[in-house]
Amino acid sequence: MEWTRKDLLSLYDLEAEEIECILDTAAEFKKVSERQVKKVPALRGKTVVNFFVEPSTRTRVSFELAEQRLSADVVNMQAQASSLLKGETLLDTVKNIEALQVDLVVMRHSATGAQAFIASKLKCGVINAGDGAHSHPTQALLDIFTIREKKGGVKGLNVTILGDILHSRVARSNMWGLLKLGANVTLAGPSTLVPREFESIPGVRVCHNLKDAVANADVVNLLRIQHERQTAGFFPGTGEYARFFGINSDSLKMMKPDVMIMHPGPINRDVELAGEVADGSNSVILEQVTNGLAVRMAVLFLVAGCVKK
Amino acid sequence: MINGTKLFSAEEISTAVAKIADAIGADFTGSFDDCALVGIHQQGVPLAEMICEELKKKYGSAPLVGKLDISMYRDDIGNRKRLPAIRETDIPFDVNGSSIILVDDVLSTGRTIRAALDALTDYGRAGLIRLAVLVDRGEPEFPIRADYVGLCTTAPADRKIVVRFEEDGDPGIYAVNWENHNL
Amino acid sequence: MNLILKNARIIDPDRNIDTIGDIGVENAVIADPGKVSNAKVIDLSGKVLTPGFIDVHVHLRQPGNTTAETIASGTAAAAAGGFTSVVAMPNTSPAADTAGAIEFLRQTAARTGVVRVLPCGCMTKNYAGQEMAGIGSLKSAGVVALSDDGKCIQDHALMRHVVEYAKSFELPILDHCEDNFLAAGGVMNEGKWSVLLGMNGMTGAAEELMIARNIILARQFQWPIHMQHVSVKESVELIRKARAEGIMVTGEATPHHLSLTDDCIKTYDTNYKMNPPLRSEEDRQALLQAVADGTITAIATDHAPHTVTAKLVEFDHAPFGIIGLETALGVTFTELVASGMMKLSEYVKRLTTGPADILRMKNYNLAEGNAADITIFDPEAEYVIDPATFKSKSRNTPFGGKKVRGRNVMTIVGGNVVYEYGK
Repeated sequence: MEWTRKDLLSLYDLEAEEIECILDTAAEFKKVSERQVKKVPALRGKTVVNFFVEPSTRTRVSFELAEQRLSADVVNMQAQASSLLKGETLLDTVKNIEALQVDLVVMRHSATGAQAFIASKLKCGVINAGDGAHSHPTQALLDIFTIREKKGGVKGLNVTILGDILHSRVARSNMWGLLKLGANVTLAGPSTLVPREFESIPGVRVCHNLKDAVANADVVNLLRIQHERQTAGFFPGTGEYARFFGINSDSLKMMKPDVMIMHPGPINRDVELAGEVADGSNSVILEQVTNGLAVRMAVLFLVAGCVKK
Repeated sequence: MINGTKLFSAEEISTAVAKIADAIGADFTGSFDDCALVGIHQQGVPLAEMICEELKKKYGSAPLVGKLDISMYRDDIGNRKRLPAIRETDIPFDVNGSSIILVDDVLSTGRTIRAALDALTDYGRAGLIRLAVLVDRGEPEFPIRADYVGLCTTAPADRKIVVRFEEDGDPGIYAVNWENHNL
Repeated sequence: MNLILKNARIIDPDRNIDTIGDIGVENAVIADPGKVSNAKVIDLSGKVLTPGFIDVHVHLRQPGNTTAETIASGTAAAAAGGFTSVVAMPNTSPAADTAGAIEFLRQTAARTGVVRVLPCGCMTKNYAGQEMAGIGSLKSAGVVALSDDGKCIQDHALMRHVVEYAKSFELPILDHCEDNFLAAGGVMNEGKWSVLLGMNGMTGAAEELMIARNIILARQFQWPIHMQHVSVKESVELIRKARAEGIMVTGEATPHHLSLTDDCIKTYDTNYKMNPPLRSEEDRQALLQAVADGTITAIATDHAPHTVTAKLVEFDHAPFGIIGLETALGVTFTELVASGMMKLSEYVKRLTTGPADILRMKNYNLAEGNAADITIFDPEAEYVIDPATFKSKSRNTPFGGKKVRGRNVMTIVGGNVVYEYGK
């Protein structure tokens, strides 16, 4: 199929075959990453701005490396949403970036829909590197890429996403991507963090009990538990979370022997995931990081090809 | 079935491959240390293997064979309609100082070879680079000429020259419409 | 100019009149059409003539944000929408919490206003919910009601004292019902769509809780409390039950809560952001039913102008509120009357006697000798809402391009034609 979008905003917007197009392209780029010379001139002469209106290390580094491996010129911009509010509006800021003849903007923002809002007003391409608790398409794509690579496919698999679903863009993007490719999705965690409203989506099961959540899972994707949710009263503390929802070698025994343990990072060791499992044979956490590079190269490459000059 | 005009038969391909191998053998006086054949995807890769086999038959030894994907190095990458398929690049030797014979099926505009030179240069500074092609169309758009040529032909601009080996079925060299080309 | 308005369908709910007839206007008051001299005669066949519409919930933004709206532009918008009186919410900058601020409002309205501006004073100083405002002085300065709209007094003891004190000055209370803890940080309704979009939700319980509180206080102190912009089904149920028990509570519904739901937010259009937020379809249906059956006695716009700049931002960062004066009739007529949900004569009550009762106005009708505040609309006109035609200074409406039925054709305030469609 032919990729036709100048923006990647969310997996909810994409058709299954578009998701597969990205994954297939990523598989090719993974080969590039395995070459002795990892840099190719595919985006030579293109300028990419990484505009992060919310702090990020991993995603930004992964994007930046992907851009450099494609020979794009890269500029990083960091801003705080609060200072943006006081001074220039977001739209003015990105219009100014575009006026510098930039081809692509990779953007993270704390507000849901911020990228969709600016993408509709810009000629340059926009890649969503995370918006609020809404969407993080490249993270979900790399997760799904890893599942597809390891399990040979996605259709019919039981994938459990465990943790703070309410505040997680990773969970939402994974959910849409997995559903489109035919997986069964279980969203699990404490009831304050996993709203029942998700059950209105066909193919989604909501579960507030660890054993039920993981017993039949082919893949368990764990989310980072944020300390600020504790202070906001969503759950009593990390100790209690670890006891009832954390994955350790004991809870691993409730699962299929070939279950795949994933985590988007950074891990709170011994809170949502015990060290022995993170480093164990079921874990694919570091492969996710490697695949993230290939997936982001693929997305940059595809999207750049659709930006009108 | 390929939809086009057959220009050369499978036998003519075999003869041409042997001719190229002979010329290479003569130039390198049968000694292939620090020498490698690098096939350009897609049809340059099997062609390099065939040349290698010929050399082995004749001299008992043969150069190493590498594979080169040049899709990311194309000068039309920014305005392509269809995405290029990315293929394996495998250079199983140190490029620095070695003698490399780039191998491709058709020399047409010369743009592919330019991209291949770029790609290869990323791997190091070769001592010597030569070019071997099965078919030379004789209408380069770049100042690039082949050192070893199996066959020569001409074809109108709206035709693409396509090489099919045994494993592709219907072996031969064809002139096909660009639009119909789907190899 | 004297007028004879002929052949209109006159709906005058206070006097139980619904008939085809003529109305005279002489020296700013309603007069016997047979005795009016030197009159311009206007044929209104096919049109509906009613007492002027009253909007009990309007933000005119002056003083403080005259880029978004002024008393002049806001009242011109009201006239275009068919409203002859608007209650100006006191959350201006500075807030209308002193007699001086009310005096400014009255003078500016007298000088620049197109329709009647009924001042409303704050319940607490700077509507901060901390200390009671000078309610007696506000009354002396001419306020018709009290409200901390935009905020809600969280301290129940303070609210209790405000209600008791307001009673002694005979000022009705218009309350924005919202529990700050439950609604904290929310930008849209808590429900399926907030969950899917990953936006912070505002649970309907935040409104329900404060409505319950207000019902308790209205019962305890025997004084009317009006619930502004009721938005959830459960609130409707509480009000229905309380009214059945004779407790003096009333409620209003906005055109947007009657016509839109939270799924609209998937486009991230900030013109769908308001507080209370757009709710679910179930809530919307409950509201329509409540307006139809009289549980909710007023339609109010919560006209909340914001500049294009203010709204052209991330959804999370956009201010709450949309304008409504010029779209209220078309949107609500379409939802309630054109749909067959309620009779026209009953619908007119929600824009006339319903709001008048909330403000404790007596004899709000077309009897001879009353001020000639009249609204005339065409119940058959179908058209597409075009924000470019608005008199308001702001354009923050989600209704641009919406096809509606029911158009205001003439607004008369004190005998003066202040708006005529097409003129």
